[in-house]
Order: sequence, then C-alpha cells, then structure tokens
Amino acid sequence: MPSLAPSRSRAPRRIVAGEHHRSRHHGRRNLRAYLFLAPFLVVFATFIVTPAVFGLYISVTNWSPFRKRIDFVGLANYIDLFTPGALASQNFWQSMGATGWFVLWSVPLLLIIPLLVSLLLNQKLRGMTVFRTIFFAPYVLGVAIIGLVWGYIFDTQSGILNHLLHSIGVAQDIPWTVNTPWVWVSLVGVTIWWTMGLNTVIFLAGLKGINTDLYEAAAIDGAGRFQAFCHVTLPGLRPVMLFITTTTVLASANMFGQSYLLTRGGPGTATRTAIMYISDQGLSQNNMAGATAMSYILFLILAVISIINFQVQKDRTEGRGA
Amino acid sequence: MSATTSIVTRRRPVRRLTAVIVLYTVLGLLSLIIALPLIWMMITSFKTDSDAVQHPYSLPNPVSADAYLSFTSGQQPILRWLLNSFGAATIQTILILITASMGAYALARMDFAGKKIIFGLVVAMLMVPPVVFLLPNYLIVRELGWLDTMLAITIPGAAGSFGIFFLRQFFIGLPKEIEEAARIDGAGDVRIFVQIVLPLVKPALATLAVLSFLNNWNDFLWPVYVLLSPERMTLQPGLSMLQGAYREHFGIVMAGAAIASIPVLIIFAAAQRQIVDSVTGAAVKG
Amino acid sequence: MRTTWARGLGLATAVALIAGMTACSGSADKSSQGAVGGGDYTGPKVEVTFWNGWTGGNHPKLVAELVDKFNAEHDNITVKDVPQEWADIASKAPMAIQSGNGPDVAVLHGDDIATYAAQNLLLDASEINKTLGYQAGDFPPGVYDKGMYDSTQYAIPWSVTPLGMYVNKDVVAKAGIKDMPTDKASYVAALDALKAADIQGEWVDSFIFTGTFEFESLVWQHGGDLYNKDVTKATFNSDAGVQALTWMKDMIDKGYSPANVAQDGNLTALASGKAAFNWNGIWQTTNASMADVPWTAVAVPQIGSQKAVWSSSTHWVFPANKNQDKNKTDAAAVFVKWMNDNSTGWLKSGELPAANKIRTAPSVAKDHPQLEAFINELEYAHYETVSPGINEANALITTAISEALTGKKSPKQALDDAASQADQILEKNKAKYGA
Repeated sequence: MPSLAPSRSRAPRRIVAGEHHRSRHHGRRNLRAYLFLAPFLVVFATFIVTPAVFGLYISVTNWSPFRKRIDFVGLANYIDLFTPGALASQNFWQSMGATGWFVLWSVPLLLIIPLLVSLLLNQKLRGMTVFRTIFFAPYVLGVAIIGLVWGYIFDTQSGILNHLLHSIGVAQDIPWTVNTPWVWVSLVGVTIWWTMGLNTVIFLAGLKGINTDLYEAAAIDGAGRFQAFCHVTLPGLRPVMLFITTTTVLASANMFGQSYLLTRGGPGTATRTAIMYISDQGLSQNNMAGATAMSYILFLILAVISIINFQVQKDRTEGRGA
Repeated sequence: MSATTSIVTRRRPVRRLTAVIVLYTVLGLLSLIIALPLIWMMITSFKTDSDAVQHPYSLPNPVSADAYLSFTSGQQPILRWLLNSFGAATIQTILILITASMGAYALARMDFAGKKIIFGLVVAMLMVPPVVFLLPNYLIVRELGWLDTMLAITIPGAAGSFGIFFLRQFFIGLPKEIEEAARIDGAGDVRIFVQIVLPLVKPALATLAVLSFLNNWNDFLWPVYVLLSPERMTLQPGLSMLQGAYREHFGIVMAGAAIASIPVLIIFAAAQRQIVDSVTGAAVKG
Repeated sequence: MRTTWARGLGLATAVALIAGMTACSGSADKSSQGAVGGGDYTGPKVEVTFWNGWTGGNHPKLVAELVDKFNAEHDNITVKDVPQEWADIASKAPMAIQSGNGPDVAVLHGDDIATYAAQNLLLDASEINKTLGYQAGDFPPGVYDKGMYDSTQYAIPWSVTPLGMYVNKDVVAKAGIKDMPTDKASYVAALDALKAADIQGEWVDSFIFTGTFEFESLVWQHGGDLYNKDVTKATFNSDAGVQALTWMKDMIDKGYSPANVAQDGNLTALASGKAAFNWNGIWQTTNASMADVPWTAVAVPQIGSQKAVWSSSTHWVFPANKNQDKNKTDAAAVFVKWMNDNSTGWLKSGELPAANKIRTAPSVAKDHPQLEAFINELEYAHYETVSPGINEANALITTAISEALTGKKSPKQALDDAASQADQILEKNKAKYGA
C-alpha cells in the first residue's frame, strides 16, 4: 500500500542511491522536481503565501487601507481575543462555538452519506451517469440561489416543508430559519443537500482508481462483500479519504453563506459563524487587523485538527502494512 | 471486471435482479429528494412575479417566459457576462490543471530537498481563512495593473492548495512499477508524466476540472472587488443585480439560476463520460 | 543551490510586494483632496462615471432615461451609468476610490456618508451646495444634515424612502374594518376584529427588513432615540425602547402575529391574503409581486405619545479618488444639479425626490396617489444615525429584537445587552475613525 505520510516511505531508498554519487544525483533530482513545481510555485508564492505573510504583519498593527499612518501594536489584537469580557473576545469565541457546533454535525454526515452514495453509484448499470448528474446538480448552484430557494421552502408559516409536515400530522409550525434548535437542522441539512455531490464525486474518482484485481483476489480468498469493503475498498480509498476529511472539515469551518442568507446569524447571534463574524469585521467594519488576528487563531485550531487527522489516518495505514 | 462486484455480485441471477431493483429504488428516491427543490426552481422560473409570491407551490398560471425574455431585452449586457464567465472559468481551469498536475506529480512521486516544507505549506494555506487573502491580493493585483482585466479573475486563483493536494492524493495511490517499467524502456520524465501517469489519473483530472470551473464560475466576492466596468463583469454578480434590490423579481432569479447552472451541468455530464471511459483503461493495466 | 535559489526568489517577491503595499497604504492623504466647485462646466469633453445601487424595479430604466436625456443636452459631458447592487458598492467603492478607480459621482445611503467621510474618501461638497443654492430648508427636515460630518457638508440629498403601513383591502374588509387605523386604540381595535375573524393582522418579524425599522419607528414614537446627541452612547434601551420592543413581543403573545416569522414572511403573508397589515418601506409600492394584490398604503399608526416613522435617505457624493480629475468632478456637479431639477420622473421609482420643490408640486399627489401617505409622513420622519461605523452598532438592535421575539431574553434584557455592546463599539469607532 502506498503510504499517506508526506514522504517517509521513500526515505530508505536514498541510501541505496550510492554514497559517491549522492550529491550530484540529489542536485539533478532537486532540479527535476523544482522544474515540475515551478509554474505552481510562482503563482502560489505571489497570491497565496505573500498575502498570508502580509496578513501576519497586518495582525500586529492597526492596519487599514485607509489609514495614513500604520502603527505597530504588538500582540494587542491577539490579546483582545483572550481578554474575558472584551467585545472582540466575547463575539469571536461565541462565533467559534457556532462554527464548532456546525462542524461537529455536518462533517460526519458529509463523509458517511457521500461514501454510501458513491458505492451505490459505482455500478456498471444503465442510468448511473444520470443519477450522478442529479446528485451533483445542487452543487452547481451559487450560494445566493441556495439561500433564496431554501428560504422559501423553510418559511415558518407558508413554506412547503411545514405544509408537507402538516399533511402527515405535525401540528406545529417549525421555525426552520428563525429559532433554535431548528436553525441548526436547516443549516446542516441544506449544506448536505448542496455539497454532498462534491464528496460523492471525489469518492467515485477514488473508487475508480482502486485496482480491480484486489477484489478478485479477495473473492478467491473467500471474502464476503463486507469483508471486501473493509479490506479492499476502504484501504484503497485512504488517500482520497484523507483529502476529503481535511477539505470537508475546512469547508464546514468556513461556512458562512448559508447562515448569512438563511438565518442572518440568528436567533440573536446563535448561528453567526466565525467566518461570518471575521468577514464582517474585516470587510465591512474596517477592522482588518483584528479580523486577521482572529483568522490566524482559527488557522491554528484548524492546523491542530488537521495534524491530528493526518497522524490518525497515517497510523492506520502503516498499521495495516502493505 | 470492475469494482462494481463489491455490491452487485454476479453469483445468482435472482439475487442479482433483486439487488438491482433495490438499488434503483434507493437511488430513485434519493434523486427525487435532491431534485425537488431544483424542479420547483425551474417551475418558478416560468411564473410571473406575483404568481410566484402568491401561489408559490402551484403550477405556473399563466405560464410566462417573461423572466427568460428579460435577459435578452434588458439594458444589461448579459450575454457578455456569460462569455466573460465562460472565458475566465475555462482559462483558470486549464491553468489549474497544468500547475496542479505538474506540482502534485513532483510532490507525490519525486524525492527532493524541501518537499516536506512545500507540502506542509500547501496544506497549511488551505487552513488560512479566505478572508485573509482578499485585501492583500487586491493590493497585489492593483500593483500589477491587473484591475478590471481578465488577468485579475484568472491568475490569482490558478495555484490554490486544493488542486495540488487533491491530485497528490491520487498520484500517491499509483503503483510504483508503472514508472519504473517506463524508465527501463528509456522514457524521460516528461514522457512518463504526460503519456503514462496523466492518463491513469484521468478521473481525478476530470473531477478537478469540473470543480475548478465551478469554483471560478460561482465566484462572487472577488470579481466584485477587482472588476469595475459593467462590460467586464461576470455572470454571478450580474445575475444578483437583476433580481432587484428587494428580491422582487423572483422569476428572474430562478431563470438566472437555471441559465447559470445548465452550462456547468453539461460540462459535468461530459466529464462524467471521461471518468467512466477511463475505468476500462485503468482496469487493463494495474 | 537550486532549492535555495527558488526559496530565495519566493521570499524576495514576498518582501518586495509587501514593501510596495505598505508604501501605498498611506497615499490617500488629505492634501490631495479638494472641494467641489459647481456651477457651469465649460471645460473639455469628459466622461463622468456614476455608480448607483438602483438595480431593481423600474429603477435601471428610469436612470438610463434620465442619463440619456442629460447627455443629449450636454455636449461636453457624457455620464456613464454603472448600476450595481448596494452591497457590492459598499464592498468595492472604498478600495476603488482609494486607488483612483472609483466613480466621479455616486449615490450613498445617509448612514454610510460619515463612514466614507471619516476615511477621507469624499470631497467636501459645501462649495457646490452653495453654488447650486441648496440649503437645509430645500429638503425635508433632518435630511440635509445627514451629509454633514465633522462640520463639513459632504453630500447633496437626492431621495427619501420612509416606512409606511401596507394594507390588504380584501382582508380588512373580511373583518369589517371600515376606517384605517391611525392610533393605538384604533389599531388594537382593528387587530382584535381581525383576530375575531381568525386572521393574524400584522406579522412581526425579527429581521432588519422590516422588524428593525418598525422597532425604531416605535422608539421615536415613544419619545426615545437610538443614540444620544453626539452618538457616544446607545439609548435604544431606554424606557421608550423597552416599550417599543414589548409592544412587538405582545403582538405575538396576544395572537395578533404568529411567532417566528421568517424573512420577508410578512410581505408574503400580506400578498397572499393571510395578513392585513405590514409595516414596510415605500420601495414596495413598485414591487412587481404586489401587482395583483388589492393593497393600499397609509401612514404607520401612532402607537406612542408622538408621531414618528423611520425613513432612509440617499445622497449624491463626490468621491475623492486618488488623482481625481477636477474637470470630471465639476462636470459631475452639473449632472447632480440637473438631476435634482429634473427628478419628477423619479417618483415612478417608488422613492420620493428629496427636493421639496419637486415633491410638493400639486401634480405629484394627483399622479401618484399611492405615495400620498408616505409624502405626508415626511413632516415627522426620522432618518438614520450619522456616525462613522454606526452600522456595526445598529446591527445589535436587530440582534436584540431577534433575541426578544424568539423568547431568548426579555425585551429589557435583550436591549440592555445590545446597548452595552453598542457603547463599546462607539468607543472603539472613535479610535478607528478619529484623528
């Protein structure tokens, strides 16, 4: 099995390369790799790394594009976020809580449902392309449309969802976009409806890459379907699984449009997510310095989660061996 | 043979038939749930504004193509926006496929100094909230003199972490023997990459192409910042303008959504064919 | 070696770009700003870029018509009409102006002007107001001053958009209501009559559109205000505020309104005949989805001790673009003057021209009967608060309404919590926008 560790599995081969050729060989190898990487690195350095570094600088100043003099403020923007009772810390951590809650509910569902659906769709049968297109279709829509369409469906008094529920005997008008806990059900539900097609398609691409001989080998060994799933499909999906868990956690942690449009962050500020608060502070309230500091705190937390994720998934691979 | 054996076995015809029926039923029901809001959207796009608000869940009465006609008769250059969006999304998709596939190949299949640092940076940058990049990138694009040009909406997004991380995970899954065999045959790096490795990850490339296209196509905030002239605008900000400040033109919004999503769905369906095709290809090797 | 070289290049690019960006961030200094002259424009032919948020209803058509007419009458000025969503203007305009890519003239809402002015993004418009002969008395009370920040006039009023009460005539007829309610007693009587007919009369929501506008109207009706005079303290949690929010909560508790009304749910309810009344903005008079609805609009009833109603206003401003061409600004001033003199047609947009002499012309009430109630309200209308960054504090009002109406907090508790946060924001805004 290929390893998921960024590069570890290749390490022993370096020794084989032979001591006396080593440095020249490495030089050529490095050149070769960097030539392949060059187009990516140029754009990446300019439009991703530079702004990120600049962001770090912003976060220790009172930077604003409209300020005549920029002052260095040290860690003040960060300290604000850890001062109990301060406006920024109160709002920021509350919004982080909302984001955390959303991640907790949405991520598992966005992994399990697409995995199951992709297994169903990965059949050599008539019409699979049609089903795949239908499942993917919602993802094609922009978030503005999602907000509008579901806003109508979810309307407390005249929405079709409550209308349908009334017809099966639910007496209550459920406040899907207005009150807790229902707002969470709607936000998670809409997100699944909207984005499950994305993960499904990635899982499908992963399934296509699994060497089919392995299934035959498993069948010869007398493995049942479930065993084949556990011993062939899941391990074969590992690299893709690592990608999907990472990006799904990040996507959910960045959720913003759905609550901005459907619940307006309400009731009160209950569904105001971290990105919703940070974007408002940075782009509308002229507080980019504070917003960047918050962004980097969020970054640190996400980085820790991702490192754990990488470690866990890597360990499992190595534990199973090749 | 394909990976399909994992669920629908070929063991006994009767069991297979039952399995197929169950499968189609489950998929059919799921599709219906998923498609209902979309069907409602399409129906609403044929309603008048007052019909849409007063009778949201009935069939159009009268059936009205006004919403669609307003796209051709209005003062706004909608066809132009459509072309701009199509052009920008296509260019950026091609750029991403090039930068990401080459870069991911190096990261997944080569050994070199700094590999861990670069991959770490790629993944780390995924975690920086997008809002951090917006204003600095605006300043960079301005300094480069790219404001209000196609460059501004195609180049900065052409080397995101997503694509390279995505493809790396697929390259990593390929058996090593493939390249080794080719190298023994005397193939060089470029030939191995283009003729042997890329075809093997075609499903992933097709998927990435669709996602990249979609990402650019639906981008909203960035074009609003960097594009200034109405004739350079892209489709998404343009459409949201047509719905009116108080969302009173419900039919137009729905018609706009339909117009905006149909090209992407066609591209998706075409890419699907690529994905299905390549299965046979992959199965022969291995 | 190569690696080092590549890394070095990346680092060098990063450093150079950051240095560049930091250097330019100081470019918008006050000395580059000028004042707007006004009067006739006799200079060379110029193109004037005009940004506005009029994208809905018949606005785009009306603006285009007016602009075409102006262009035809002026040989040396071409106005380029660039409509885009208000929200998009809010996002892009500050950065565009600061880098010299903004418009030569734009329309902003009253509550935005101070924020722009505090960031040195607008030209001083005192001179042009003088040349064009505009004074506060030429506009409804309180409107002209919305363009004033730090004792400088930055704007010229263009339109006002008050809240009114929309009535579904069929629904009130069903409950046997003959006269439209005008005060608390008649309003409660109407709501009771509707309730007896099994109709929830007015649906109260907890969103900016329209719960916040209704709340603010009620605060003023009870003799309160949202902020103190120099906008250093929130006062929306005063007795007047608590009475206002309690009234709204009681609407739900007494069954005059359903609970948990969703965004736009109240207008939908009015349009589909489920509700009788909706406090909503004048802009709904041109809403195409109301075309077949038997509606009329009246002044909002007086619930408190005095007459008052919320209104917004729009204003012309002259952006202080980096390297702004003075000719373009002068030409823009001619355009603004012309527009204000020719704004009769603007009534068709569902906005009221701010200029008194246009709006009070006898033909107006005759040609636009649906606007009459709104025009009459202007005597006692209150406009949005002027203070840089005020929108952040204003957002807390909506939060409080939402918390109270969904039963999370009592009206008083919700308003007190919001006010204490708003005070901190006002304090911060002083540092953020001051000096």
